[in-house]
Amino acid sequence: MAGRTTNRYIRTYVDEFDLSGYARSIGPLSQVYGEADLTVLTDAAKGYFPDQATVSPGTYNGVFDNTATSGFHVVGSNYTQNRVVTVAIGDRAAPVQGNPVFCGEYLQLSYSAEDDGGAVVANMPFGPNEQANLINYSKPWGTLAHALSAADSDGNAAALYQDGGSDATAFGGYMVYHVTSCNGDATIKMQHGAASADSDAADLAGCTTGVVDFSSGGSGVVTTTANTTSVNPFIRWQVVTGTATTITFVLSFVRASF
Amino acid sequence: MANTGRTVSKLVNLVIGDSGNTLRDIPINSISVVGVVYEEQDLTAFQDAVRGALPNMPDAPIEWTGPFDTTAAQAASGSGTVPVLSGSHTVLNGLNGGFTPRSIDVQFGIRQTWETGEPQFGITATDTSGYLITSYTVNPDDMTYSARAVLYPGSSLPAWGTAAEAAS
Repeated sequence: MAGRTTNRYIRTYVDEFDLSGYARSIGPLSQVYGEADLTVLTDAAKGYFPDQATVSPGTYNGVFDNTATSGFHVVGSNYTQNRVVTVAIGDRAAPVQGNPVFCGEYLQLSYSAEDDGGAVVANMPFGPNEQANLINYSKPWGTLAHALSAADSDGNAAALYQDGGSDATAFGGYMVYHVTSCNGDATIKMQHGAASADSDAADLAGCTTGVVDFSSGGSGVVTTTANTTSVNPFIRWQVVTGTATTITFVLSFVRASF
Repeated sequence: MANTGRTVSKLVNLVIGDSGNTLRDIPINSISVVGVVYEEQDLTAFQDAVRGALPNMPDAPIEWTGPFDTTAAQAASGSGTVPVLSGSHTVLNGLNGGFTPRSIDVQFGIRQTWETGEPQFGITATDTSGYLITSYTVNPDDMTYSARAVLYPGSSLPAWGTAAEAAS
């Protein structure tokens, strides 16, 4: 159901928490390049190249709520600079596989509460990309590979879906995951294929968490082996359950395009 | 048959070459000043009676906004046909930050869907001429986006005309 939509279908995940139920607004979701003026005197007009990008999910504004562990106040006020953030935009319904997402790992700049017409609300502004994992990727827009839900076995039955064009790309990419609950060890990874058949699927080089104990939840950003790794046009999520028998998670993939 | 006279903004169409170099109509709900703006080089001398300037280097950035839209890419409508809109996100997400010049064509239909003979402003991309997208921002408050395009260094100057731009 592609097309236009409204913000009631946006879902927001920060680290191992689903903050959708506290959100009042988030954004702007920005990807803005500096413009290097490369005009020379003999040019017909001014010309520019895109320089470094500034990428940020803007400010998350939510209702102040101190519910233990997962309330926005508890999550927002207890931060250590970097946050794994996913903003999934549903097409006139809750987000599903293939819907656009803005995701990555960003600096949380502050946390502050305020009054808004009698309502106690709080703001969690995000800065640009953190400096470690995604320094080679300027693109924050990807697609939702697995909407927030539980998986209790390997994901081989999940169909591959077309992510972008019909050709493979050669610029790598990264996955962003949020595990909200789990009861043991599991591996989350991306697979890709030249076509959508199950037999086409193969692991996407580098895009795996490895075996992790997600008993306390978890989140992260994992890039492909390099930013020259080939990514086929079809992708899908995959979970290998270890000691875990169930894992509830959100997974997105950003395909770098140049 | 091309009309002349005044018109309304609902008949303005933005056409842009996508990452596969195919022209797409994309949804917009505002657009910046469309045209070429020259830098003023003030060359006034003390002895002059009035201030005077010469036009220096021209610039032609275009900024626009519109509804966030994920519709699959559709072939652009062309002359005399109601725009066939591709998703704004579908098209712009693949262009932002790229180094390949793209065509842009802002078409002003005169009391009807734009057709050849009515005003348009833009440029047909070549390997060294055309527009680059340097900003794409989505505002979830109202589910709109904003984008900005600037000319490739060394590009030819876009111009007003009455015939559609090509993809390349």
